[in-house]
Amino acid sequence: MVAALSAAGGTITMLVGAVLLRLTVTDTYRRYVKGGLGLWLTIAGVAIVLLGLVTLVRAIRRSRPGHEHDHGIGVGWLLLAPIAALLLVAPPTLGSYGVGRAANVNIKSGGGVFKPLRRGAPALSMSLLEFGQRAYDHRGTSFNGAPVTLIGFVAGDVDGGFELARYQISCCAADAAPVVIRVLGTSGDPPARDQWVSVTGKFKPGGGDIPDLIATSVAQIPAPQDPYE
Amino acid sequence: MLGSLGMGGVGDDVALSETARVHELEHRRDRRSDVGIAVVVLVIVAAAALRPLLQDLLDKPAVAHWATIFVAITVQAMPFLALGITVSAAIAAFVPDDFLPRVLPDRPALAVPVAAVAGAALPGCECGSVPIAGRLVSRGALPAAALTFLLSAPAINPVVLVSTAVAFPGKPEVVAARALASLLAATVVGLVWARFGNDRFLERARRRHSHDGPPLSVMVETAQHDLLQAGGFLIVGAATAATLQTAVPRSILDGVAGSGAASLLALGGLAVVMAICSEADAFVAASLTQFSLTSRLAFMVVGPMVDVKLIALQAGTFGGRFAARFAPLTFAVAMGSAVFVGWWLL
Repeated sequence: MVAALSAAGGTITMLVGAVLLRLTVTDTYRRYVKGGLGLWLTIAGVAIVLLGLVTLVRAIRRSRPGHEHDHGIGVGWLLLAPIAALLLVAPPTLGSYGVGRAANVNIKSGGGVFKPLRRGAPALSMSLLEFGQRAYDHRGTSFNGAPVTLIGFVAGDVDGGFELARYQISCCAADAAPVVIRVLGTSGDPPARDQWVSVTGKFKPGGGDIPDLIATSVAQIPAPQDPYE
Repeated sequence: MLGSLGMGGVGDDVALSETARVHELEHRRDRRSDVGIAVVVLVIVAAAALRPLLQDLLDKPAVAHWATIFVAITVQAMPFLALGITVSAAIAAFVPDDFLPRVLPDRPALAVPVAAVAGAALPGCECGSVPIAGRLVSRGALPAAALTFLLSAPAINPVVLVSTAVAFPGKPEVVAARALASLLAATVVGLVWARFGNDRFLERARRRHSHDGPPLSVMVETAQHDLLQAGGFLIVGAATAATLQTAVPRSILDGVAGSGAASLLALGGLAVVMAICSEADAFVAASLTQFSLTSRLAFMVVGPMVDVKLIALQAGTFGGRFAARFAPLTFAVAMGSAVFVGWWLL
């Protein structure tokens, strides 16, 4: 009947909410948006599912045709596109394709002055951003020769090594900007493009805008749960 | 019908054909509704069948990049859109019809600046302010004032200003310049619209009828309708932004880096094309170090007011003919305002 049209609208709405909830439950949403948005996505997902459910129930109960007017779904059909995409295949995290197409993160701003690392300590895990900012701050003297461990993906080959990158996002993947670091001193073939790796090594002074790291070990790892910094 | 009674044979024919037409319409609506459910099912089934094909497509880096950005913009906008729709639906359900015209100033010279400053009270980004502004118009608020609110809310709210301060550490003048230039642009656009704009172009927002019935039921129906409308247009905008981001490498910007008119236009255009959230654009602006501060200010003033996602949302809420006039006007005023404030403060 007339109500069936809004039953379709209610169904689409419920699917939108369900997809949002599925993204948060499986933690997949971190591929697309900043981790802090998770709570808001959950709230929005629950609200949208309820809205669709109420519409659906009302549409089914309202069986007198012609009594209530109805809205067309119109452009709302387009919502089926991301629903279909996300229910079946989840687009991956941003990879090396975007490196070099987007502007790199500016490591020269916001880093401030770093305290020196302790020499002789075990390798310290560090974000690529901090590595870059330390490299810029007083030309990397704060590394003090101490080893660090970085996690990122392979963005391309360079002479004697490869480029390691990781995106910074401030809201969603549309505003992603990569930090890129050159990993040198690796032997053999570099890992494949887009392979996630954990690299341990020491800062090498004298690089240009892209800082250098001399690697002592490179391990291939699965993509981390939160792919962006 | 009543009028046709006295008109004899001709009127009867009209009445008859009228009944037939209503019948035909109901019939067609029945068929359309069946088609509706069928389409939902068909899309899901087809997508399931084509899953291997979709997976193959995603193995192509460019397609994967596009899909990720498309999904990211859509997902990121959903909570803000839901907030805006909730506020809009609550206004429709609980604010009496004659309330807004009564309490709001009706002289543009007063109403527009008040609306610009009031934008600071809505902590969200641009996706949320479109449905709210649409509702204000349909509830009889001065259109120029509602449009000013639409422009200023995503640009000068506290969340956006704080994130700007974080993105430009030690440069409070950037935050001040952003707030000032955005207020100025929103006010000027509102005043220009009040003077020269034709509210005929807003008919789509005006036409939005309110439902009758208990407030909660009105709220649900309004929210449902707005979600499907705004959501659909959001998809159009997100797909456009993802296409442009994938197809146009950012490195073409390097050719115009610097501080001339070309660099201003390039960053203004980039803001339109990227369609990123106003809460995040300051960080992108901060990374565009090869450009002058004034050019980056233009990026931050234009972005929350005009971008491909917003144009789609505005076309859906107010009508396409409105969006075709409002977007160029806003772009020009926002650029001018950024140049003026940038020259003064930065």
